[in-house]
Amino acid sequence: MSVTSFYFLCFFALTLIIYYLVPVFTKGRGQWVILLLGSASYYLLAGNGVLILYPVVASLITWGLLKALSATSDENIRTRRLILIAELTALLGVLVVLKYIKLTGTGALMTPLGLSFYTFILLGYFIEVYNGLSEPLSGFLKTSLYGLYFPVMISGPIFKSRDMQQQFFCEHKLCYRNICYGSLRMLWGFFKELVISERLATIVNEIYGNDRNYPGLYIMIATVAFALQLYTNFSGCMDIVIGVSECFGIMLPENFRTPFFAKNISEYWRRWHITLGEWMRENVFYPLLRTGMITSLGKSLKGKFGKKKGKQYTTYVAMFILWLSVGLWHGGEMKYVIGSGLLHWAYIVAGEITLPFFTWLFADKMHIDLKSRGADCFRVVRTFILVCIGDLFFRSDNVPHALRLIGESFSTFNPGILVDGSLLNLGLDVVEWGILLVSLVILAAVSVMQYRIETSAGEGTARSVREYIFSRPVILRWAVIIGLLFYCILLAEYGPGYSAAEFIYKDF
Amino acid sequence: MTKKQLLKSFIFIVLILWMLVHLTYILRTNGDVKDRYVGFYAEKKNTLDAVFIGSSPLPACIATPKIYADTGITVYPISSNMQRPVATRYLVEEVLKRQNPELLIFEMRMWTARDEDLLGNMAHTREVTDNLKYSLNRIRAINAMVDDKEERLTYYFDIFKYHSNWKTLFLWSQFRTLFYAYPEDLKGHVIETDVGPADKPFVTAQREAIPPEEEEYLLDLLEYIEEKGLNALFVVTPYSATEDEQKKINYMSDLITEHGYPFLDMNGCTDEIGLDFETDIRDYGTHTNILGAEKVTDFFEQYLVDNYRASGKGLISDHRGDSRYSSWDEAFDKWQRDCETARDLVRNNIENGIYYELDAE
Repeated sequence: MSVTSFYFLCFFALTLIIYYLVPVFTKGRGQWVILLLGSASYYLLAGNGVLILYPVVASLITWGLLKALSATSDENIRTRRLILIAELTALLGVLVVLKYIKLTGTGALMTPLGLSFYTFILLGYFIEVYNGLSEPLSGFLKTSLYGLYFPVMISGPIFKSRDMQQQFFCEHKLCYRNICYGSLRMLWGFFKELVISERLATIVNEIYGNDRNYPGLYIMIATVAFALQLYTNFSGCMDIVIGVSECFGIMLPENFRTPFFAKNISEYWRRWHITLGEWMRENVFYPLLRTGMITSLGKSLKGKFGKKKGKQYTTYVAMFILWLSVGLWHGGEMKYVIGSGLLHWAYIVAGEITLPFFTWLFADKMHIDLKSRGADCFRVVRTFILVCIGDLFFRSDNVPHALRLIGESFSTFNPGILVDGSLLNLGLDVVEWGILLVSLVILAAVSVMQYRIETSAGEGTARSVREYIFSRPVILRWAVIIGLLFYCILLAEYGPGYSAAEFIYKDF
Repeated sequence: MTKKQLLKSFIFIVLILWMLVHLTYILRTNGDVKDRYVGFYAEKKNTLDAVFIGSSPLPACIATPKIYADTGITVYPISSNMQRPVATRYLVEEVLKRQNPELLIFEMRMWTARDEDLLGNMAHTREVTDNLKYSLNRIRAINAMVDDKEERLTYYFDIFKYHSNWKTLFLWSQFRTLFYAYPEDLKGHVIETDVGPADKPFVTAQREAIPPEEEEYLLDLLEYIEEKGLNALFVVTPYSATEDEQKKINYMSDLITEHGYPFLDMNGCTDEIGLDFETDIRDYGTHTNILGAEKVTDFFEQYLVDNYRASGKGLISDHRGDSRYSSWDEAFDKWQRDCETARDLVRNNIENGIYYELDAE
């Protein structure tokens, strides 16, 4: 049951009605039980059947080990560590084994929905409690809600217990604002996924599927199209699930903040898949820096290269492990390890190492104002190109294929395809191209607006585009919402004759 | 949530639903079938004396404006291509919502076919379901006609299918169906000018049962019209029926007359009609062209006059000259004008041996 399906909308609407009706009869208690039942039903309706046991057992292990942890005094560090290791081994063990099984293609059907997401949420919750950042939940069923909460089962976001505990288990009254904002957020997600992403997928699949027929600029176009497809697909899904959750009164963390406006790769990762980045930093990178191996390496490098450089190089080593983990999270294949992990590590390290040289070159020698808008634009474009190269690995069949595609993209100089009608043979006719381009312009305009609002937010100003829309007079507000709704109804790719692609991050 | 917010939400949802319904009406695929249904909904309430329900031969061979001009009787065809018999009962219910016809006329040739043989093209189902206005009756029709429950969804919400027709949104021929009521110029009739010579219908007195599912639908229909006390006439318009089909027509004739309803098999009256299968048939056996249509209409309107009006059984009113029926006068004027050209075209086709191309559609 895809979140863009009609059945999902029916399921969501029914759950929402029950969710807000229950407190009327229970004096405001037990709404979270509806979410738990709804989530379990979603799991079953999504065709996962018995696989629901995976998140349930993971929740049970987490709950049990946290009970054991609570019963252990803070001074008994050794036992506490053993409990932590047991949690990590149990949950990560299942994750690694199932990912491996899936990778080998021997048991793809054995992988439960949202495997990586519930594993990271439960692990994060355990570590938060371990570190005293969050209170343990009072029962197994409440822990199960963390492991099953249906909006995040599809593609995240990976939430933190300390941000969500209060929201999950308190009473939520039917709130006009939440319903309006949530619904609009969902609509925006449908726009991104069904109007834009599906059309981009047509181009990408045609070129990547027949890449020997499409050299040179074709590959570059497909690579840019895939970067946009991945963004609109993943962030569109996030918009839908965050909107769904908002309707329940539960504000999930943002996973994207206009990532293509990032000026460097580090900033890009603070804007792209934010919750994964934060999880990795909090639970992999910082603990890693405190390990004996890294600290002794740091001491050794400081002795060799001096304090500043030694610290820097030590960080690069820790970052290598961090990015390797990010790559592995996306899948065991090398194309993911490189495209979504180590390549980005290389970008960041190379960027930092070469920064003094390029500052000298551009500022001192070429007298370019590095704080100018032009310089910022250059950085944005450069970052986007670097991201596209990573995405090329992500989309290709394997690493040799990706390398061949990079080679082929420079093997032929064919800019003529932009004007000779060749682009009309990629699965989209003139009108479809027109819709795609207009939709991308709308997306860009809204993104610019969002970026400006975020960077210039002050008191009395809107904090999001939605807030801005809802602050307009009712006629204008309704015109925008109805306009977007019917734009999606008419131009989205759904119904007979269309086979909607799955969310790309669904299987992670 | 305050009362004001609730009210605003309610208005917003109603507005969206209204727009969605009417947007779908516009986007439903255009063509003569949609025009015919939209034309039916545009007819003033309780102004039709008779409604014809059946498959595609109807609009071609029954010149409704001519019947009106000659007799003052208003007849309108609710017809779609290869109309599945299972739809008939629901079409009757749809008719009765807007009209109170003195006579319901059913064209029966499709009832000789097995329902599963009519399922190959979903248009045969959709031309019925997707041309009805949204109502409970439409839902019942879909439930009866579409077995796959998953698939029904795209029938209930046909915007799922037709949203890709958005390019036609601003075509006048589409936009005028915003309210799903727009007068049909020729009152459902279609003038055909092709020529495709055919064999005469097979003559036999033998009987053979119709497919069991069709018999079940027929018995259900008979029971329904008996229960409602409706006046009905069952007919087979002339076509090149095979031996097998004619046997089934004979079987239906018995079954229907046993229930006390008349059955008019025009295949047995082709000489009386004066139908020339060399020149009056459009496509080698199934539909008449304008020459055939005029002959069949002459015969049929006389049948109505003789068997209903003359005997006092019904269809007494002559609406000619009544200002409420002025659209029928306009339809006849247009029909006359169009016919002149059409007849010339048919004659030209005959003289020059230009015959209907089977792959033309």
